[in-house]
Amino acid sequence: MQDDAVDQTVILCRACDMAVRKRALPSGVRALCPRCHTALYDTPYCSINGMLALCVAALAFYLPANLFPVLELHFLGSVRTASVVEGAMAVMSLGYWVVGVAVLTAAVVAPGILLLSILGQILLIKAGLKQGWQRTTYEWLLEQHGLLSQLTMLEIYVISFLVSAFQLADFSDIYFGVGTFCFTMLFLVTLFLQREYNLEHMWSYLDV
Amino acid sequence: MSEAGTQGKDLGLLLCNVCHKVNSAHLSHCCRCGEAISERDYSSLHKSWALLLTAAILLIPANIYPITTLVNQGVVTQDTIFSGIKHLVDSDMLPIAIIVFTASILVPWLKIIGLAIYLTAISFHLPIPKRLLMGGFHIIEWIGRWSMLDLFVISLTVALVNMGQLLDAKPAPAATAFALVILLTQLAAKVLDTRLLWDRLELEHDAN
Repeated sequence: MQDDAVDQTVILCRACDMAVRKRALPSGVRALCPRCHTALYDTPYCSINGMLALCVAALAFYLPANLFPVLELHFLGSVRTASVVEGAMAVMSLGYWVVGVAVLTAAVVAPGILLLSILGQILLIKAGLKQGWQRTTYEWLLEQHGLLSQLTMLEIYVISFLVSAFQLADFSDIYFGVGTFCFTMLFLVTLFLQREYNLEHMWSYLDV
Repeated sequence: MSEAGTQGKDLGLLLCNVCHKVNSAHLSHCCRCGEAISERDYSSLHKSWALLLTAAILLIPANIYPITTLVNQGVVTQDTIFSGIKHLVDSDMLPIAIIVFTASILVPWLKIIGLAIYLTAISFHLPIPKRLLMGGFHIIEWIGRWSMLDLFVISLTVALVNMGQLLDAKPAPAATAFALVILLTQLAAKVLDTRLLWDRLELEHDAN
């Protein structure tokens, strides 16, 4: 192995630093580290146009999912509704701002920024990544991606409104609103978008 | 590369932590994303310990103090995480009780105990199989997010149930402690350079 030209067929496991020789994989198969079983790579089926479609669909659901009520409570004739944002605000206004910020970040802010970031990345790839500012912006977006996708917890929120509905059914009648539908759709579309998205593959656009 | 476990650092290769590009070890910054790269981050062990200990301390108030306050027709009841689950079991909602138990008791405790074992094994060279440790670490990373469930449920309940003396739900002090436990344990797992596990134990147990 020469000193400067790094052999591109060797990859290192990010968890245990084991050196593994990269081989072509059939689709749908993942390569695991032989030593510590961390996922190493898979065949990217990242289609840029497919991701763009999913991303636009997710953004279309984003606002209604956050502004319309996800749960409706009918109690002695009065109707109460709560949207995702209202839930976070209600906790914050009672002084539990750590909880409020956590809820807001995981269910509203991080998913929103994540979607905008992926949209930005796709548009930059479409623009060709030729100019200097395009490459720097693209690099910056990719660097933030890991954190953003870790903070996005849409799937847990979907479970949580089901749990709340069951818990509150004890006291009163519970109905799902338009927001429930939009939020579930937002979760599903984002799920498929994240399956399609492959960070390693996105980085490789900078190599050429 | 053989099964024996050739590490990148023996080959003069270094993985960039941000974009996962294999770099030549004499570079100080990644040739693709420009991020600083280093062979191992030894300080990450101390950072991880510090975050984990703080989380372990906060886990005590999170479990002892009430997490919700419920006013039902003038009667104030305060529920801790545990009594809330007991209440669910009593009202014949076993599946929901299991979900909440997993998210708010099992996962945080498992995470803290698991990470503690993991860090002790690295710090004190304990003879625990590394594959087992790494497998546990992957599970911890994956299930860690599920603890957010409880906070989401609280925020929805608080927003829905506010009808003065008749029926009113509020968060209680443990909510903040619980939110911090989630945040700190996630950080403790994220901050750790897992390659350290495979370097340090190597010296004694896999010497062949």
